[in-house]
Amino acid sequence: MTLLFRKTLLSASVSLAALIAAQGAMAQEAVFVMATNEVGAPTYNPIKATMLNTATGLIFDRLVSQAADLSYHPWLAESWEEAPDGMAWTFHLKQGVTYHNGEPFNAEAVKGWLDLFKTTEGENGYMAEAIASVEVVDEHTVRFVMSRPEPNLLYNLSSTFMGVVEPKSFAALGDDYGVTEVYGTGPFRLESFAIGQETVLVRNEGYTWGPAVAANQGPAKVERLTFREIPEDSTAFLELKTGGVDFLLSVPADLMGEVQKEANLAVLTLPGQDVWYMPINVTSAPFDDIRVREAAAKAINQEEILASVFGGVGAVADTFLISALPESQVPDGAKIRFDPARSNALLDEAGWAMGEGGVRMKDGQPLKVALWTQSDSIFRRLTEVVQAQLKAVGIEAEITTFDSSMIRDQYRTGEQQLAVRSYNWDNADIVDWFFGGDRLGYPNVSMFNDPKAEELRAAAMTGAKNMDERIANFTAYHEYVLTQFPMAPIYQPVQAMAYSTDRIALPETIDAPAFGAAAFLDLEVKE
Amino acid sequence: MLSWLIKRLLMLVPVFLAVSVVIFSILHFIPGDPIDNLLKIGSSPEARAEMEARYGLDRPLPVQYLIWLSNVLQGDLGTAIVARRPVADLIAQALPHSLRLGGLALLFSTVVGVTLGVVAALSRDRWPDRAIMGGVLVGSTMPSFWLGLILILIFSVGLGWFPVSGARGWQSLVLPVLTIGLGGTALVARITRVSMIEAAGRDFVTLLHAKGLSPLRIQLRHVLRHALIPVVTILALRIGWILGGAVTVEVVFARPGLGTLLIKSLSQHDYPVVQACLLMLAMAVMLGTLMGDILQALMDPRVRAAMT
Repeated sequence: MTLLFRKTLLSASVSLAALIAAQGAMAQEAVFVMATNEVGAPTYNPIKATMLNTATGLIFDRLVSQAADLSYHPWLAESWEEAPDGMAWTFHLKQGVTYHNGEPFNAEAVKGWLDLFKTTEGENGYMAEAIASVEVVDEHTVRFVMSRPEPNLLYNLSSTFMGVVEPKSFAALGDDYGVTEVYGTGPFRLESFAIGQETVLVRNEGYTWGPAVAANQGPAKVERLTFREIPEDSTAFLELKTGGVDFLLSVPADLMGEVQKEANLAVLTLPGQDVWYMPINVTSAPFDDIRVREAAAKAINQEEILASVFGGVGAVADTFLISALPESQVPDGAKIRFDPARSNALLDEAGWAMGEGGVRMKDGQPLKVALWTQSDSIFRRLTEVVQAQLKAVGIEAEITTFDSSMIRDQYRTGEQQLAVRSYNWDNADIVDWFFGGDRLGYPNVSMFNDPKAEELRAAAMTGAKNMDERIANFTAYHEYVLTQFPMAPIYQPVQAMAYSTDRIALPETIDAPAFGAAAFLDLEVKE
Repeated sequence: MLSWLIKRLLMLVPVFLAVSVVIFSILHFIPGDPIDNLLKIGSSPEARAEMEARYGLDRPLPVQYLIWLSNVLQGDLGTAIVARRPVADLIAQALPHSLRLGGLALLFSTVVGVTLGVVAALSRDRWPDRAIMGGVLVGSTMPSFWLGLILILIFSVGLGWFPVSGARGWQSLVLPVLTIGLGGTALVARITRVSMIEAAGRDFVTLLHAKGLSPLRIQLRHVLRHALIPVVTILALRIGWILGGAVTVEVVFARPGLGTLLIKSLSQHDYPVVQACLLMLAMAVMLGTLMGDILQALMDPRVRAAMT
């Protein structure tokens, strides 16, 4: 090798290194850790998947977006009208929208996408089940002809499972769609995906059609997002602490204190979508007596649980639904709140007199009941507090712990009396799911099957023609269920996240029910 | 030797069948099924029965077993019910990670364990022996979950030498390999030490001493060779364990692998994946045992003679 050639090679390598370094400084990228309950999502195919993660919501836009108050706003659909009888919906689509593979987004694409729900094997078909057919009115207008009124349509359309996929590549890629390649219209496109490990998304440079609830309509401010999957919370926290990652999309209650101790870390909370509650089996004596059910429900001191078990983070629950839902707004009298005096009076009235050792007795029998819970440590801790609170009014509850993956089968036996459990859902139809008379055992752990409730349920599920009617019907159904005490509401957690304040700048407000596309469009990375 | 090997391989067939029956029935007798993970809130109560029929879960168990077995024998591991992916794909993605981590951990525990065992045996009842055996005792009793976190705290958070977690580059392998390897090291060191001490008392060693060979040469060349036979057997048996037993380490260090896949699928009752993983691990143990026997034969002339 001549000296000249070596010099040239050296200077070329130095310039290349400088160029790479400069590009590195310019490139805006952030590393996120997926929420622990989203770890292991095996595909980005919204039509087939049983589980989707946060990144899915950045690859696929939806027709409709949802604000923090759960109201609906435009996204890929600029506006929409519902026929007065609820049998048709017309959506006016945004113009100039393209998929990541260059295909145009238009009425034909919407029709092609919705048809996939009917032709693809899987469990998500029910999301579009009420849509009998899709008519292309013009290039940017579609009309859904309904088989029945579906006032819940906007909710379904705002769900990640109804992320608008590109139908041609869906057909061409088959099982690989969502794994090796995936095309939506979202603010980010998929660069790489290793199941259970990490997903890399890069900015969709041409994106200008963000949801109405986002301050920035696009393109996103960050060029590249890496989502790592870390199943162990403490490992994720140590990664954040050492700067290995910038943002944790979930932080458990017991690590919040650790995050707050660090000067350069901050906690972000959004309203939660979980409710923790105590189902009461209405068919199992002594809970076949509504007075005993009410007494047990009102023995639960939600404030004390919030403070002692959850460190004051979150909110008490006094209905079965999350507070953000309009259907949770039942009259005060229907709300289930801690009232030990009422509990004691009801138990006295039902013939359960206080006996020795603080346990009530009736006909020589002590008031002893079974209290089921699942193996996760937070459930066991909460259940012990619930046990103590029941004891305070003279109900002795014996705790049985089941493995979390097996407890549903135990509920199907119908042998439960009381239990401590939680659900995650942001729609009022959860009342139907857990208290519908045809789902006894599980999901209807309370074994609640009441003729009046069934009537109200039918009206709520299928009797409404529009959203206002649906809200009114569900509020009435929810209110009636509460007055029958098939459960005691306990707690509503928040969605807690943590991030490095050295690296991440967040918008002042995030007007969305979850940390999704709107938040990611507005998020900035500090250099 | 060849006929012995064929006989041993044929013996694996009934073992394989027995294992497959056990795996299949245990899994189906555990309460719960994958349908709970598929049913969406709002789906109709009839959907459960439809889904059971779709995935063949409504058929009698023996029929389900025979269908599964015949598919497996034709090389078809099926499609994951919950994960919605071909099981072979899921395993193909996880296996290289498990092999890399398990292989390196096995190598680490062999090299370090044998070295420590030899040093301990050579300095029997003196301070190096006591120090090594004391350390080994601590190492073998430490839960890997806890050890992993301690290593992260020291080497990643404190010293910043290695990444906290992940599966990128050799740096991310160091702490997980140490975490798994240290437990194995303890076992190997103890067995090496005991075998060395036992072998050192044999007649052939006295003879070698009488011939005037240097004590170090006798120990390293003759005694160690003799002592390694049980070590090799133990190591071969550990292959299956190393592949599937690294679950806690995989979770702590956020690494993909067979263990994580197995646990995740087990909690979702994703039968095809769990069955395939367990079958693979059982096969790894069976083949590991066979390999141990073969290696033992190659190293021990007495066993070799018995075979022929």
